[in-house]
Amino acid sequence: MHVALRVTDLTKTFGRGKKYEVQAVRGVSFGVKNGEIVGLLGPNGAGKTTTIKCILGLMLPTRGQIEVMGYDFHRQYRQLVRSTSAVLEGSRNLYWRLSPRENLDFFTGLHGIPLALSRPYSEHLLRVFGLEVKKDAVVQELSSGMKQKVAVACALALRTPVVFLDEPTLGLDVETSYELRDILKRLAREEGRTLVMSSHDMDVIQDVCERVIIIKDGSIIVDDRVDNLLEVFRTRSYRFTLSNGPGLDWHFDLGKKFPGLTVIPQGESMILEVTLPRPSDLYAFMDALRDQGLIVEGIHQEEPDLEKAFLYLVRKGA
Amino acid sequence: MKEVLTVFRAVLVRQLTLYRRYLFNTLSGLVTMYIVFMLLMTGARAIGGTTFMNGDAPLQSLVVGYLVWVFAMVGYQELAWGITNEAQMGTLEKLYLTPIGFSWVQGLLQLSLLIMQLGLTGTLLMFIMLTTGVRLQVDLVSVLPIILVTILAAYGLGFLMAGLGLVYKRVQSAFQILQFSLIGFLAAPASWGRFLPLNLGNRMLASVMVDGNRLWQLPAADWAALVFVNVTYLALGFVAFRFFEGKARELGLLGHY
Repeated sequence: MHVALRVTDLTKTFGRGKKYEVQAVRGVSFGVKNGEIVGLLGPNGAGKTTTIKCILGLMLPTRGQIEVMGYDFHRQYRQLVRSTSAVLEGSRNLYWRLSPRENLDFFTGLHGIPLALSRPYSEHLLRVFGLEVKKDAVVQELSSGMKQKVAVACALALRTPVVFLDEPTLGLDVETSYELRDILKRLAREEGRTLVMSSHDMDVIQDVCERVIIIKDGSIIVDDRVDNLLEVFRTRSYRFTLSNGPGLDWHFDLGKKFPGLTVIPQGESMILEVTLPRPSDLYAFMDALRDQGLIVEGIHQEEPDLEKAFLYLVRKGA
Repeated sequence: MKEVLTVFRAVLVRQLTLYRRYLFNTLSGLVTMYIVFMLLMTGARAIGGTTFMNGDAPLQSLVVGYLVWVFAMVGYQELAWGITNEAQMGTLEKLYLTPIGFSWVQGLLQLSLLIMQLGLTGTLLMFIMLTTGVRLQVDLVSVLPIILVTILAAYGLGFLMAGLGLVYKRVQSAFQILQFSLIGFLAAPASWGRFLPLNLGNRMLASVMVDGNRLWQLPAADWAALVFVNVTYLALGFVAFRFFEGKARELGLLGHY
């Protein structure tokens, strides 16, 4: 399988001088295969959007190499742009005084696609996104979910092999978010597009992406398939029910030893959710509970989800 | 070339759609420009007395100067405010992600606006001539080249201010100051004013529209100076814009406002 995107040692530093310098992205390297759907995950300010904007040339990288569909960022930027499209600011990427169809016509035209070639596919996207009825209404009259769909449709309408989606489901209600995810999955599968998607919403990444890159403080801390990550965490996530514990501050010490520990008070008892990477950690955790005088009423092995894996990895720093 | 034409069609259709959809806004803009001129003329008559009677050369020159100012202001505004507004709305980054490049997109956008502006300002001129009794020679072969070269300087200033806006953001008050400075440029004495934006073009246009000279009857030295001065302002403005654009990309400010 060919590589659609290759990023090597990407670094972005804002400000000059040691006092003012902020390293937003620190030597990030990764590749994305053709047709792959990759999620960029990370806390606020981790460097996800900066990474995407550097790849697209909207921010100048301080250092590093970028190739999209074999086109070099420095030598073949125009061809690189021709191979990419993006949703960067959600519905802010649209002209609100134009209709969805006019937006689609405009953005495909900007990419040099004649109307005769772009229209049939634009009409197809309007149908797929359920926007057909509203295709001639001005965007500002649409709901936020519809606006977001129009923004995504405008990016997809360019039919570029690589599509970047920065927070595509931000601010959407649950139903619209699910709908959008289904459409993205379907289109990516049917058309073999490469999608790079950043999101705070772990559900979205878990649902749509095959692979996840977790970024923290500008560095990649995990780059793995979502399945693998969940599999690893399948045997690690536990839920302990304690019959005592409220009112004591024992969990501060425990939290330091076992990062990612979540404490949920429940009346007279306590629930502890924890990820224990090695089998021996389970025994160590049990010992630690016993040392604190805590009585374990029950242990339940939890079904892992990406959110728990993410929280564990980010808190621990992988 | 085909790609450039496709992009041009896209920006032209977008502008036409907006003009048509917000027709009231378009028309009220035209009416406002007409009212501003009438106020200007009333003021000039109050100050200049009989000098500004119908058909007199000073009044004709006032109309020509006003037309140049309108053209220049629209070009300047569409660049300076236009780019800043795109940044504010969140669409600027999308314009950068075009295979032909942002400079081409802006150039074609300005061309499409200019085409429409020619129509609107032509209508405005017609109304002014009809209601004030001022008669001007509208020899398009002579008038259009002078207008086109003259407003290049306004585009240069527009690029400069747009570049400043990309990096420093809240600079609208500076936009407005420069907007009114354009009037000063028009009114400056010819001796040194010819090196300012709009000044020489305004005089040459008056020579054509008021005195009835043709394009080829104007002194070659004036033509050379007109082209040199206005192309220089455009080039300097564009270089400044590219500098600030680079700064904005370095600092990650293209999508911010």
